[in-house]
Amino acid sequence: MGLRPILSSLMRNGAGALLVAIQIALTLAIVVNAVFVTSERITKMGRPSGIDDQNMFALPVTGFEKNFDFFAMVRADMAMLRDMPGVVDAMPSNHIPLSGGGSSTQFYSLPDKKGEKSPVAYYVTDEHAVNTLGVKLADGKNFGATDVEYRPKDVQGFPGTAVVTRAFAEVMFPKDKDNLVGKTMYDDQSKPIVIAGIIEQMHGAWVGWDKLDRVMLSPVVGPGPGIRYIVRTEPGKLDAVMAEVEAALRKRDPNRVVGKLRTVKNYKQSSYASDSLTAVTLSVVTGLVLVFSALGIFGLATFNVNTRTRQIGTRRAVGARRRDIVSYFMAENWLITTLGVVVGCGLALAVGFWLSNQFALPRLNLYFLVGGVAGLWALGQLAAWQPALRAAKVSPAMATRSV
Amino acid sequence: MFAYYLRLALQSFRRNPGLTALMVMAIALGISVCMVTLTSYRAAARIPLPHKNEMLYAPNVDSWDPAQAYDKDNATYAPDLQTYRDARGLYASTIPDRKIIMYKAGGVLSGGNNMAPEYVAARMTTGDFFPMFETPFLYGGGWNAKADEGPEPVIVLSKETNEKAFGGANSVGKTVTWHDREFRVVGVLNDWEPAPKFYDVSNGSFDDPEKVYVPVTWGQIMELGSDGNTNCWKTEDINSYQDFLNSECIWWESWVELRTPAKVAAYRKFLDDYVIEQKSKGRFQRPLNNHLYTIEGWMQRNNVVGTDNKAMLIMAFAFLAVCLVNTVGLLLAKFLNAAPVAGVRRALGASRRDIFWQHLTESGVIAVAGGIIGGVLGIGGVWALRAWYGRFVQDLERALPVDYSTLGIAVAISLAAGIIAGLYPAWRIGRAAPASYLKVQ
Amino acid sequence: MLSMKNVSKVFRTDLIETHALRDFSLEVKAGEFLAVTGPSGSGKTTFLNIAGLLEPYETGSYKLDDVEVTDLSDDARSALRNQKIGFIFQSFNLMPDLNVYDNVDVPLRYRRMKSAERDKRITNALEIVGLAARMKHVPAQLSGGQQQRVAIARAIAGDPKLVLADEPTGNLDSLMARQVMDLLERINEMGTTIIMVTHDPELARRAHRNVQVVDGQISDFKPYEAHLAAPGATPVATGRVATPAGA
Repeated sequence: MGLRPILSSLMRNGAGALLVAIQIALTLAIVVNAVFVTSERITKMGRPSGIDDQNMFALPVTGFEKNFDFFAMVRADMAMLRDMPGVVDAMPSNHIPLSGGGSSTQFYSLPDKKGEKSPVAYYVTDEHAVNTLGVKLADGKNFGATDVEYRPKDVQGFPGTAVVTRAFAEVMFPKDKDNLVGKTMYDDQSKPIVIAGIIEQMHGAWVGWDKLDRVMLSPVVGPGPGIRYIVRTEPGKLDAVMAEVEAALRKRDPNRVVGKLRTVKNYKQSSYASDSLTAVTLSVVTGLVLVFSALGIFGLATFNVNTRTRQIGTRRAVGARRRDIVSYFMAENWLITTLGVVVGCGLALAVGFWLSNQFALPRLNLYFLVGGVAGLWALGQLAAWQPALRAAKVSPAMATRSV
Repeated sequence: MFAYYLRLALQSFRRNPGLTALMVMAIALGISVCMVTLTSYRAAARIPLPHKNEMLYAPNVDSWDPAQAYDKDNATYAPDLQTYRDARGLYASTIPDRKIIMYKAGGVLSGGNNMAPEYVAARMTTGDFFPMFETPFLYGGGWNAKADEGPEPVIVLSKETNEKAFGGANSVGKTVTWHDREFRVVGVLNDWEPAPKFYDVSNGSFDDPEKVYVPVTWGQIMELGSDGNTNCWKTEDINSYQDFLNSECIWWESWVELRTPAKVAAYRKFLDDYVIEQKSKGRFQRPLNNHLYTIEGWMQRNNVVGTDNKAMLIMAFAFLAVCLVNTVGLLLAKFLNAAPVAGVRRALGASRRDIFWQHLTESGVIAVAGGIIGGVLGIGGVWALRAWYGRFVQDLERALPVDYSTLGIAVAISLAAGIIAGLYPAWRIGRAAPASYLKVQ
Repeated sequence: MLSMKNVSKVFRTDLIETHALRDFSLEVKAGEFLAVTGPSGSGKTTFLNIAGLLEPYETGSYKLDDVEVTDLSDDARSALRNQKIGFIFQSFNLMPDLNVYDNVDVPLRYRRMKSAERDKRITNALEIVGLAARMKHVPAQLSGGQQQRVAIARAIAGDPKLVLADEPTGNLDSLMARQVMDLLERINEMGTTIIMVTHDPELARRAHRNVQVVDGQISDFKPYEAHLAAPGATPVATGRVATPAGA
């Protein structure tokens, strides 16, 4: 059976079909863009941070008594923490990775602010940082205990040795990617820093920053009076160790402020919360919009079958097989869906373009559009299947019966 | 007649309960998704102190790197913070009716009756902060200009801090120790949670308000840096706190109250004069780029609402549109299915208007039901999101408040939407020639 | 009561024009019981629709109860229909969702009557057709004859001057058909003008006057008129009143 009679019947009773087509067009525009943005966010959230973020927690500690010995406190706390059962290692730090709070500075590959340059998030800490964070040292070596400077006053500049991520070192020395250890970089005062070791991969402070994986660990502690401790535990012991650590720290020296203990996992979730919220909202919208489009198609097809039982009966009476009736309704539905999909493609592209322009979101990937078109075609046929089968069950006797 | 239409509508629902439920749920889900996104949008887009929107201004001067704009994506923006020197320079103007310069610091607070020492965030600010932002006081009040100049060792506590330190009693006149120095309590704020925290969007639009308020000059005496953002662009030898104060690093915020347009104009001129004078001293090498933002403008400048928030709101309303188109289609199918009955009514003397209103009532009832269910689902959705994200997002109560006024908006949107959805089908059925349906049966 | 002069009605589609009525003229006096007969497709239903103000027409004039209706607005026609005309259809056309009482209520609602007045009229109309005891039933619970009597009650509840009946017994068996005819005659005796379209000569014979429509015009051939006396007289005086079935 050709499409022409279907088309002419559609033209005569167009409002319902047009509404379904509009619905499909809107659905395509929403779904394609929502799925695209959601997948971007899921990819972003799924990036490995390079650190053992599931088994770590952190807390701020501040001294306040007059004449209080900051370095003695840090050394004693660290010694105690590293000795506690269930603790893998502990480190002092200015900030907590993935928390959204941090510091960054600029480095150059040559003195006098020349050569390659790049910003880098830095953590001032001691020699236990690599082990505490659980990062993989790909090349070179960690800085040693003797390298750590305990600075009683805020002094500009970093010690002459540092451990940096590969991503950062490769930006600084793009021509020596195989030989990054031992390279010297310079701060804006042309003070040299030699790269002692390369971390394979690690995330820094701000998950929304496109240079998130440029990180430096520098051997400095001080000047206080506030500092953060980061503790890594053996897998599965996080909660128990956290409770013990809090009690032990308060007990060891009650004359300082021990802040709130939070897991690094919690910090990470917090940093990704808006991405997660966007992904969840858009997924819900996508699911609902698909369900309602399917129901809309189903509803219209059912209505069409109901109002045309007599016509269907007549077709059957003049020799149409059940198969012909089914294919008539499927073809009708396919036509409507196709109309919607064609309009929807334009709409989806327009929405995608507008979103990326207006809101600085990435440009819509066309594979998503192709997938969306195929999906909606399938959805349309699926939704029309049951009504079409019902139509095929109409008895030829309907032709002569007055309803 | 309305009561009659209402009865007919209910009768009609009883005839097609599945179809009716589908339409109600379509509207309800569309509304609930809109409500959730609208709640977070409205929380962010809310303008605090709307009656002062034309009075309070955030001055903005561009002291940034001559080589590149502060915000690469928005080159016309000046930095959102100021250097110490510029904050003081702007504060020297006598044009504003009131003026604030401030930054955020932190330190350990102790004292009171039996408070455990605690690290608390402090707003280092000037006395006009309290009257300008209309902070509510439980006890006492703020401090005056003389206390700013001294500076006098005065402190204002938040209600929460006062509860911790003094069990909620009137603590005015008592002393607390902050950063190893004794301060006299002059005021205790009542509950005050400005959301968005418009005066410090640089550090977080929904952050907690600070726990204590201290005259800003103490910050320089006690050599306190910022606990919030500090951004620097210039290579400078900073070896002392004084070097830091003199640097091009930005960490201060300014606000002014200008009650007349004349003062606004005068202050704009003052900003220009100030920058031109600084240029003659070798600073401010970027083109003249001064701004004077209202609260609303400041929140837009800092994208407080957020791009995701806007994009999701649009997506949610597009989804509502799909739900409505769905409902229009189903209503049309339903009404046309029942056209013979409408034809009989016409034969019995119903005018087109009667038929139109009867069917519009039917779609209106569906819309109201959808709006109420959608509102409940929407509030449920907000609760669910808060329950889930509240475990790791500290500021969620302010960023995603349970806002019952949104419920009213939801029902209003739903009713409007349902009536729009019902208009065409009701009009179609009203137009149908009565005779054409009578013989068909 | 009703006066049509040179009324024409054409149905047009893309391909063909059908003259449903051409230069149709007819006078019906108040209190008459007129039967309109004619073959299928002759235009008798079109005549009834125009008479009932359900369809517009191209040319001619039509006075209903001395009111010229040709140029009336749709609203005015609806109001006129509501007050002066009662309809009875072949397939009853009761509202399936509404019970008997509410069905009879429909035209009164559109007349914006007070509830007490409506109740009085509904009860009265249902008593006339002998179905007062079935008020709470829905149409599906009634027989065809009962349904048509409900439709008659609905037609007369508003006290119309003219009742238009389109094959009122077409879907009924002969016993029920007779009951319905008896009822129509009784209503006519109470002063209501009745125009009935039928193709059943038996029924047509019970009317005061017969007209036959052929090709959209009144045919000169009037097979039954010879038997009839002057308008107003009752040639076959059955005098029977419908008995309330199953009451």
